[in-house]
Amino acid sequence: MSDADQPDREEDMILAGEYALGLLSADEAAAFEARLSREPELRAHYAAWAEDFARLAEEAPPETPPTNVLAEIRTRLFRQERPPSLLARIGWPRIAVGLGAVAVLAAVVFVNSNVFDPGPVRPLDPGFVAQVEAEDGSLVVSAAYDTVSGALFVDRQTGAARPGRDLELWLLAGEDPPVSLGVLPDASRVELPVPDDLRERLQDGVLAISDEPEGGSPTGQPTGDVLAAGPITNT
Amino acid sequence: MESKDEIEAQIARVATGDRDAFQRLYSSVSAKLFGVLLRVLNDRAEAEDALQNVFVKIWHKAGSYRANGLSPMTWLITIARNEAIDRLRRRRRQGEGMDEAALVADASPGPEETVMQKSDRSRLLACFEELEAARAEAVRRAYLQGETYAELAERFDVPLNTMRTWLRRSLLKLRECLSR
Repeated sequence: MSDADQPDREEDMILAGEYALGLLSADEAAAFEARLSREPELRAHYAAWAEDFARLAEEAPPETPPTNVLAEIRTRLFRQERPPSLLARIGWPRIAVGLGAVAVLAAVVFVNSNVFDPGPVRPLDPGFVAQVEAEDGSLVVSAAYDTVSGALFVDRQTGAARPGRDLELWLLAGEDPPVSLGVLPDASRVELPVPDDLRERLQDGVLAISDEPEGGSPTGQPTGDVLAAGPITNT
Repeated sequence: MESKDEIEAQIARVATGDRDAFQRLYSSVSAKLFGVLLRVLNDRAEAEDALQNVFVKIWHKAGSYRANGLSPMTWLITIARNEAIDRLRRRRRQGEGMDEAALVADASPGPEETVMQKSDRSRLLACFEELEAARAEAVRRAYLQGETYAELAERFDVPLNTMRTWLRRSLLKLRECLSR
């Protein structure tokens, strides 16, 4: 190891510390992770910091969690049952029916019946994307927002509405009540227009899909089980 | 607390889909991880919720444990810490402001700690002591509260680049001290 390598090694050591503390930007962190997979020395730097900083967390005295927590974890992992309130778990309180009724949006969905038309296609350069998934993988929907057209391309890859029911897509932004983005059609792919006032709220939001009566929620808020959810991320 | 080797063996079995091993791992480490979540989140209901997510992640990620070179307890604590930090940052984005209460320095050891962990930690704390108080505090806040460079700069009332320089120098000093 020549002296010329020293500054780089020092820089990598510091960079690994910044990564372990969560101080890098998303881009920097992604670049660091890409290097981690192929640079053992960098992995060693990171591991050293992770070990040291974990001791800080260990200042916290251990505390036995309530007994129901393990049962709930087992339900989430090992049973096919739907979790009771995915919305609550991802941090958005379920709003009582009626409270959010002002947010009712008409869910206009155009079902394309022409079998020769490939239907909507995923935007080439989406501004935001989301993977909306059920815990057990029974419903998987990929969404991509086209900043130019203002439309949300939605591709239902796995799962479907139950007979006589519909799947409804919701935007959860901040602490506001969920806002409907529309009912998913029978066709697996659809483009849903996103109203102007919602576009800037996609960032940092969450998409969720609920089980609703045919035609969508009668109240403007989710009434059935929340089947799937996924965060909206920048591309 | 089980030994390091026992926890490592439990993680290895969890990676094969062994539900009994998962339950044993939960018995071994849930109190420790719940303590970490309570410390960072300072909210019991949210810590319970976070603990569920942590163990769901442990179940799914157990197979990748060996690749990262961390000791088993550090791997588990890092998953818990990251889950808690994600939640704190989301809370702050939603405008609840900084969570002040959770960062009282408390070095009292947990009852179940091993001698090994204690000596590691006293070494770390001794090295923190060698930093200026404000700079040590900045490192702790980044790790335990997920504060960003911008938030730290505002808290310590210095320009962003100054904060970055401080913190990076502190990391250098810490590593020098820890390598002694």
